[in-house]
Amino acid sequence: MSFFLRVAALVRFCFFMGLILISLGSLYGMLLVFNITKDLPKLPSPLSKIIETPQTQIYASNGQVLITLGERQAVSLDMVSKNFINAILATEDHLFFEHRGVNKLRTLKGLYVTLTSQSGKVQGASTITQQLSKNLFFSFEKTFARKLKELLVSLQIEASNTKEEILQTYINQIHFGAGAQGVEKAAQVFFGKSALDLSLPEAALLAGLPKSPTNYNPFRHYELALKRRDIVLNRMVQAGFISESEAREAMLKKPELHHEQSDSRTGSYFLDALISELISKYGEDVVYHGGIRVYATIDPKLQSYAQQSMKKGLENLDNIMGITDNAADHPQGALVAIDTGSGAVKAMIGGRNYYESEFNRATKSRRQPGSGFKPFLYYTALKDLGFHPATILTDKPVIIPVKGAADWEPKNFSKTFTGPMILKKALTESVNTIAAQMIEKMGPDAVIRTARTCGIQSPLQEVYSVALGTSNVTPFEMAAAYSVFATLGVMHEPFLFWRIEDAYGRIIFEHIVQEKRVLDSSTTYQLVDMMKSVIDIGSGKSIRQLGFNRAAAGKTGTTDSFNDAWFTGFTPTLCTSVWTGFDKERKLLDSHNVGITGGRGAAPIWAEFMMNALSSDPERDFPIPDDVHFEKVDTETGCSPEGYRGGHELMTVPLKTEQKLCQDKQ
Amino acid sequence: MALHWYEPLTFSELLKRTFSFLNIALFIITATFFFSEFRFDWFEKLVGSYLVSTNELRPETGAVWETGKQTTNAHESLNAIVSKKEGIRQNANKADSFSGLLSTLLPGEWVTLEKQQFKSLYLSLEKSTSLKIIDPARLVWLLNGSNLDRIFCEGFKGGIKIYFIDSENRVIKEIELKKEDIVEFENADKPIKGILTDMAGFQGRIYPARIFFDALLKLPSEIIPDLMVDPEALLRQEGKIIRVGIFNEAVNGYIKLGFEFEAQGGAQVVFLKGREWAVWQLSLKLKGEGN
Repeated sequence: MSFFLRVAALVRFCFFMGLILISLGSLYGMLLVFNITKDLPKLPSPLSKIIETPQTQIYASNGQVLITLGERQAVSLDMVSKNFINAILATEDHLFFEHRGVNKLRTLKGLYVTLTSQSGKVQGASTITQQLSKNLFFSFEKTFARKLKELLVSLQIEASNTKEEILQTYINQIHFGAGAQGVEKAAQVFFGKSALDLSLPEAALLAGLPKSPTNYNPFRHYELALKRRDIVLNRMVQAGFISESEAREAMLKKPELHHEQSDSRTGSYFLDALISELISKYGEDVVYHGGIRVYATIDPKLQSYAQQSMKKGLENLDNIMGITDNAADHPQGALVAIDTGSGAVKAMIGGRNYYESEFNRATKSRRQPGSGFKPFLYYTALKDLGFHPATILTDKPVIIPVKGAADWEPKNFSKTFTGPMILKKALTESVNTIAAQMIEKMGPDAVIRTARTCGIQSPLQEVYSVALGTSNVTPFEMAAAYSVFATLGVMHEPFLFWRIEDAYGRIIFEHIVQEKRVLDSSTTYQLVDMMKSVIDIGSGKSIRQLGFNRAAAGKTGTTDSFNDAWFTGFTPTLCTSVWTGFDKERKLLDSHNVGITGGRGAAPIWAEFMMNALSSDPERDFPIPDDVHFEKVDTETGCSPEGYRGGHELMTVPLKTEQKLCQDKQ
Repeated sequence: MALHWYEPLTFSELLKRTFSFLNIALFIITATFFFSEFRFDWFEKLVGSYLVSTNELRPETGAVWETGKQTTNAHESLNAIVSKKEGIRQNANKADSFSGLLSTLLPGEWVTLEKQQFKSLYLSLEKSTSLKIIDPARLVWLLNGSNLDRIFCEGFKGGIKIYFIDSENRVIKEIELKKEDIVEFENADKPIKGILTDMAGFQGRIYPARIFFDALLKLPSEIIPDLMVDPEALLRQEGKIIRVGIFNEAVNGYIKLGFEFEAQGGAQVVFLKGREWAVWQLSLKLKGEGN
């Protein structure tokens, strides 16, 4: 047989074999379909039923909606900008109106690329219907079986719904990132407008997000989102939806993001803490699917002031430290403000920028409070040792033997010793050696007991240095504990929400403000008076220099290494704790290599916030207990300055009826 | 007739065989099959229609159904919480005594009481006993003068706490009632089997009934009502009073008096409370010191 005949025979053989294989394949395919069908998920009818999940709403103290969880604001196609519909079709599936759920040529091409790719690249070929099928029913695992099921369900979706219904369901359920599900919500979150009003540049930017909502999140990666937007515009040109000139014009525009909504709508530190507490109390199903209404304690006005103060304070810190905008590492900050009369958390900042780091430093970051811990020591000394603010101790070198360890030799911040002084002056100037002498007399457990009584829950080491704040605590704990001082010893449990109702308004939970006296009022008043002096003339005097003139008390805190700078202080009505420092172990040093203290790093943020927060409140001083009277004393002798001829510093101290000046000298 | 297949020997034979009617028909059918599928998507429609027909028989699985189940779970959880609270509220509203209220509240459970209900629970106690819960003057101020919004009752291990709450959810008055206190309050007027000499706190202050009443009746008439503030229990008790004892401790301005009865079932003691100052007057009289 000639060569030509052999070739012809081979062609014929191939044709018939192909035919047989296709027939067998089709038969196998049919059997597979029948077999797999019973495991396929049932489709809801109508398809739009998927957006009927009840929404949980969280309200601020002024009634403003802070966030709606599980929110999908469904809109019909005629309420969505044509620009967006064209953009999403051009990007995801430009032949959407022509296929029946699967784009066969793209699928074959995708299969070819996947099978022949050396790099293991998987070519996607999903139509909008397939994506909808995947989003509604399937996990994101890439298996052949899952892909086949997804394809079959998409065929059913096409068979039982119109193209418009499918497209409408699709655009109402896709995730755009930043907590936005559905195009209407996305338009509101990113641009503060309705989906109907989206311009071409905005619509194209949104249409580019579903590919990778995190990587293209315009709040975090604006430039990347714009690059992706340009790709979308080019695809719109290729699909014939817009002309090249329209695309060029759109590419020149930079859509303005709606930043006002970004914090409250897309998650904030306060909401994170609140939602986490709700979940631990009621479980995720109730929180995300229960349609509950939560009335939170946060005051949007105070929260806004807190954000402004923190931003300004940290930028100022950058300047002091010589850190440029482009630097990789910037100092972080946290702020917690608590209403002293109830324990309600009115403002919370957990970091410099939520979108750069969601780690909540206000509630989760435990840092050394430094001298900020001394008020617990001083209260214990006043109560247990019978000391009063005019008791004399000597600022001198101190060596305290520690069993099984090296002796403890605390140093003063100033590295100098100034001799005898009254306790009020010692706290005002944050003298470490005097604090060390007091804890040596009382033992660390007594101080720890006081801290625990005030609400500190973090682990505290039973060592002498605990008096100088070497055990880690959170800003939230510090604000709550100092609130007890502000109320002269009355404890209110700090809390994040007042009430929870179900969808029908029935009360599920209600917070009752309970008062519990945990500290003696007169002793606490003496401590508060000493802490007032910290702000008036001591380590926190920058607060007065910044123009905060109300009656207030507080304490700075700076760790030895300058890793942490704190200021926690209060007026009779509001207690605020501010922390600044780096996440990593890094010192807060200014451009001259001088360490930044709490008075310089955190106190300005505190002052700015408190000035704004209390601007409309009447001025009030701390109430003086009946058994307290005031006397003027010489700060070096602790005695009444009779015959005073100058030279020594004088201070006014509060004394209880039974307390006398110079008692130990008589 | 048997047909013997043989290979085409010539090119023309090959062409003839290749373009046979059967081959052309088969090719056309195959081509039509593929092109019609690409043109009309009949395979997708066929499978889609088949799946629509089996939809109701298939399981409700997948993300969207899971969300639905989570919603159902959430509603069940919330309904359970609300039903439980409603049950507690109904039982608490039915309670006609503090012990009834106590039995409706497990530790951690709470209920809001109507002002009227608290008043009736309070008034159901003897005057001298109710004082131990809250002073009537203070209660009047709380209910009618202060900015009280509601009364909140919460169970704890071994008792209940009653909070008087203002419109800002602040507790303006808190009362803690232990189970044993409630039992004592409510059984204050119930007789106890036994004799006075066996009961602690009366030793040295037990008098024969005749002597006791002689002394009592010699007191000015305006004092006597203060010696027996709630005499109903005494009047209800049948039998004869043998002895009377005066307790050695005053509580909230009252001193307990024990009346020992000789009754059919044996000796029983009924307790009353007398105002402290009146009891002192009586004690002086009993000691022969009073006028």
